[in-house]
Amino acid sequence: MAWPSIFQRGTLLSQFSHHHVVVFLLTFFSYSLLHASRKTFSNVKVSISKQWTPSAFNKTLEPVEVWSSNHLFPNAEEATLFLGTLDTIFLFSYAVGLFISGIVGDRLNLRWVLSFGMCSSALVVFVFGTVTEWLHFYNKWLYCCLWIVNGLLQSTGWPCVVAVMGNWFGKTGRGVVFGLWSACASVGNILGACLASSVLQYGYEYAFLVTAAVQFAGGVIIFFGLLVSPEEIGLPGIEAEENFEEDSHRPLITGAENEDEYEPNYSVQEGSAITQVKAISFYQACCLPGVIPYSLAYACLKLVNYSFFFWLPFYLSNNFGWKEAEADKLSIWYDVGGIIGGTLQGFISDVLQKRAPVLALSLLLAIGSLVGYSRSPNDKSINALLMAITGFFIGGPSNMISSAISADLGRQELIQGSSEALATVTGIVDGTGSIGAAVGQYLVSLIQDNLGWMWVFYFFILMTSCTILFISPLIVREICSLMQRQQAHILSE
Amino acid sequence: MSPCGPGSPSIRVSWAATLLLFLGVERALALPEVCIQCPGSVRNLSEVALYCKQTPGLMLYARCCLNQKGTILGLDLQNCSLKDPGPNFPQAHTAIIIDLQANPLKDDLANTFRGFTQLQTLILPQDVNCPGDTNAWNTVTFYTNSKTCQGQRNLCNSTRNTEICPENGSCVPDGPSLFQCVCADGFHGYKCMRQGSFSLLMFSGILGSTTLSISILLWGTQRRKTKASRTT
Repeated sequence: MAWPSIFQRGTLLSQFSHHHVVVFLLTFFSYSLLHASRKTFSNVKVSISKQWTPSAFNKTLEPVEVWSSNHLFPNAEEATLFLGTLDTIFLFSYAVGLFISGIVGDRLNLRWVLSFGMCSSALVVFVFGTVTEWLHFYNKWLYCCLWIVNGLLQSTGWPCVVAVMGNWFGKTGRGVVFGLWSACASVGNILGACLASSVLQYGYEYAFLVTAAVQFAGGVIIFFGLLVSPEEIGLPGIEAEENFEEDSHRPLITGAENEDEYEPNYSVQEGSAITQVKAISFYQACCLPGVIPYSLAYACLKLVNYSFFFWLPFYLSNNFGWKEAEADKLSIWYDVGGIIGGTLQGFISDVLQKRAPVLALSLLLAIGSLVGYSRSPNDKSINALLMAITGFFIGGPSNMISSAISADLGRQELIQGSSEALATVTGIVDGTGSIGAAVGQYLVSLIQDNLGWMWVFYFFILMTSCTILFISPLIVREICSLMQRQQAHILSE
Repeated sequence: MSPCGPGSPSIRVSWAATLLLFLGVERALALPEVCIQCPGSVRNLSEVALYCKQTPGLMLYARCCLNQKGTILGLDLQNCSLKDPGPNFPQAHTAIIIDLQANPLKDDLANTFRGFTQLQTLILPQDVNCPGDTNAWNTVTFYTNSKTCQGQRNLCNSTRNTEICPENGSCVPDGPSLFQCVCADGFHGYKCMRQGSFSLLMFSGILGSTTLSISILLWGTQRRKTKASRTT
């Protein structure tokens, strides 16, 4: 029984009912829609900044009401600056929101929180983009306030969907399922881009209207269709299933060494699955083994990952002089690499039943690929290949920490029985990560302005090394337990 | 052909008033003040009077030459002691011929004639330049006491100004050496950025029915079997 998951793989697929498929698709698309509305905002930036500013002609054009009646900003540069500020504001409020919504999600019904988050955030986006335009009411402070609220509401999405997925998909095969599933952000980006570009000709307000309406519809569907856990329809929970599996009551993240940290107040109400489960507190969630190291590691890694998302098209058009639309298209390869990387590394970690060593190896290779990418020649296909490789080694681990590992952490042995920790833990990990990402956006622009692109890559390498540093205690522990298991296996034969 | 002899202006005014009664109160209210801001009537033998006589269906009213709809086609403001054409002047933007000679006008008329797209003949005092400079006119003729600017040129057609309007804008003349950028065919809205109109009804219909059917389907297959005790 050295590789139990391999033997179970055949039965794994047959274990999945149509409920599993529906849950997978519903959570996948609900997060895709949330991401799509974010992408819409970045895709209509040009139109919005045109709408907010008078015409840039040196001569006043007549009729004035058509060409220069809007004076929210004197020129497009300042409007772009403000839109960048809105991005930063959003990221910070999103990060703060993640901590809160995780806690809320564990205490209230995940379905209600997710559905409420999607519908209300859709309404805010609708007011932000459509109502203000219909009323011709442009106000900086209103925009800022709406975007802060939107960040808070959008943050309900991730902890809830990861928690629901964690409830349905046990740790056997979790790596590969979550790896595939974390393509939802990229699919959302594509969806948002398509929706926005198809209606942008009618005016940017319709881009917002369409994405907001679709997101609202998604929220309604979630409310009527989502089963947050197998227990809801009387199916056995995954803990119950896992308890039958030999060797697998040992959580993936924490080795047997953690048992000395065992505190009885974490694991209560054993064997009473029907009784009301109590959610753990924020402080307790932080104290769970692995939560803080992974949070800090994810802060560094998400910084690099998001910098790639936000700055890659700009870097490409700036450094190689490629057209912006082409650079946008090319940067999809980073996503592709990330999805493949996440799935493949998830699969390997499932087989090994240990995630940290896989992460560490991938991140070491990521440093190499960053060096390689920074020296990419001015050739689109080579650049795309290097980009995909970088995405494989950076996006992959990043996806894994934010989904599969978060689910592992929130479902570990110490809190079995009081399992309502998933959303809180996911919120903590992703919230810390988002703070890192928000700070990173600022730092990247600062470094790039003062020192140039090469130093941005050195900064990425530094941050990737920090990621390895933060998870190094876990790597050592997990490799030790792997060795022990191997020895025990040999001894038993 | 309206009669235009000496001693007849009062008759003509009353005739015009009767006509306006026929045309209704709205038009009577819209009777342009610019025609009566300066006392007297169109000078005999002036260019405006000549034009009004030659063209059928036109009549003189105070200082204006109007067509039957009450639109100003000619305006004779000569010898009115005008330093500037005054606030009511834009009412005459439909005019084909305007006479401003023998007035102490200041020489900055460029924006005064915004919207005067029909203007073909403009008579100015000798010392005042044609609005939009001589390039805006086909011919400029100098007389002892006046100057005639004849034939407006279309600025939009001039070859050196192909890129005169921003994206989706289309140039239309707006008076001597003036132009407007209106939205090109099919475009509308601020900066002419919008094209076509979004079918809100169809969109909400499709989205609403899709949402409804998926919701019912999922409720039926997924949530119907939930235990009431667990749905907290």
